[in-house]
Amino acid sequence: MAVVCELCPRECVIPEGEAGDCRVRVNIGGRLRASTYGRPSAMHIDPMEKKPLYHFHPGSSVFSIATAGCNLHCLNCQNWQLSQRGGEEMEQIYRADPPQLIELARENGCESIAYTYSDPIVFYEYVQDSSELARQAGLHNVFITAGYINKKPLRQLCQVLDASNTDLKAFDDRFYREVNGGTLKPVLDALVTFREQGVWLEVTNLVIPTLNDDLSMIRRMAKWIRDELGEDTPLHFSRFHPQYRMRNLPPTPGETLDRARKEAMDAGLRFVYVGNVLGHEGNSTYCPQDGTLLIGRVGFRITENNLTPDGRCPSCDRPIPGVWQ
Amino acid sequence: MMKRDRYKRMNPGRRRFLTVLMGMLTFLPGLGVAARPHEPRRLSLHEADFYHPHDLKG
Repeated sequence: MAVVCELCPRECVIPEGEAGDCRVRVNIGGRLRASTYGRPSAMHIDPMEKKPLYHFHPGSSVFSIATAGCNLHCLNCQNWQLSQRGGEEMEQIYRADPPQLIELARENGCESIAYTYSDPIVFYEYVQDSSELARQAGLHNVFITAGYINKKPLRQLCQVLDASNTDLKAFDDRFYREVNGGTLKPVLDALVTFREQGVWLEVTNLVIPTLNDDLSMIRRMAKWIRDELGEDTPLHFSRFHPQYRMRNLPPTPGETLDRARKEAMDAGLRFVYVGNVLGHEGNSTYCPQDGTLLIGRVGFRITENNLTPDGRCPSCDRPIPGVWQ
Repeated sequence: MMKRDRYKRMNPGRRRFLTVLMGMLTFLPGLGVAARPHEPRRLSLHEADFYHPHDLKG
């Protein structure tokens, strides 16, 4: 018997013995199996800034895991060795059921667990079970995703998530179809769902020269974020580096990122960052009211943190949105 | 006296008995391995949420 997977907007019809488009959700005997449950292929300890989450427990360590598989197929994927493979193709598969995962995070002094690197949507059940246990153990759950998921499963998952950085790859459906193998609308819906469900949300946009660096599109995207998610939603413009199947384009020029940041701030967003550019002023957090440097960063490292313990600007006492402690 | 000489001077019945015993000790475990079914080991896989059965037509 075939099955229809209802997890993501692809809604793959999967005949018996085969896998969905993500390569890891497999129909065995008429039952859909999450073949990478408890079998991560990547485990690292990262700083929270690497996710990037700049307004969520800054400077803390996060135990980061991923399994094989992804439900998008971005031509510029930076983790394609992990995301564009099924579990059986991986050189490295660890065994870490949810209780073992929590134990590993605690042993390594991490405050949070990040489900990241590939897209954790495809190991949904593993995220759900681990997050429930992590929350009971006092750990936070961080979901780093492209947001290509159906509303019902996402709403359920939001009950155990604390923060998400979600990619908004472009504000253009054609780009999603041609570069990522997806569509725009479900991603916008996912962003709104995170916001409605009270999950701390930051958005990342990777700026690729000639493909999604048009300033009018960036302006429309920033206005949509302001109107639908709120002007306090942090937006990260990230620098593209040529890789995987998109080696024909150069890295994003610094001026393009500067212009994008200015455009988004002019549209009314208060916290707009530049990523993948070491030492850029856009790595740091400033008070939107008086411009005071609140958190200084160089790359993923925090050089100074001037926020008050309750997350206010030390000069004007303005509360800065985020989850600070 | 070397081990080999001791074996040669042994009572023939006892020698045969020891030869058969050593042969059996090396041969029988091999039989056990060969008798195992040639199937891949099945690992338990977690059942996914959010799916429904679908009858493919045609």
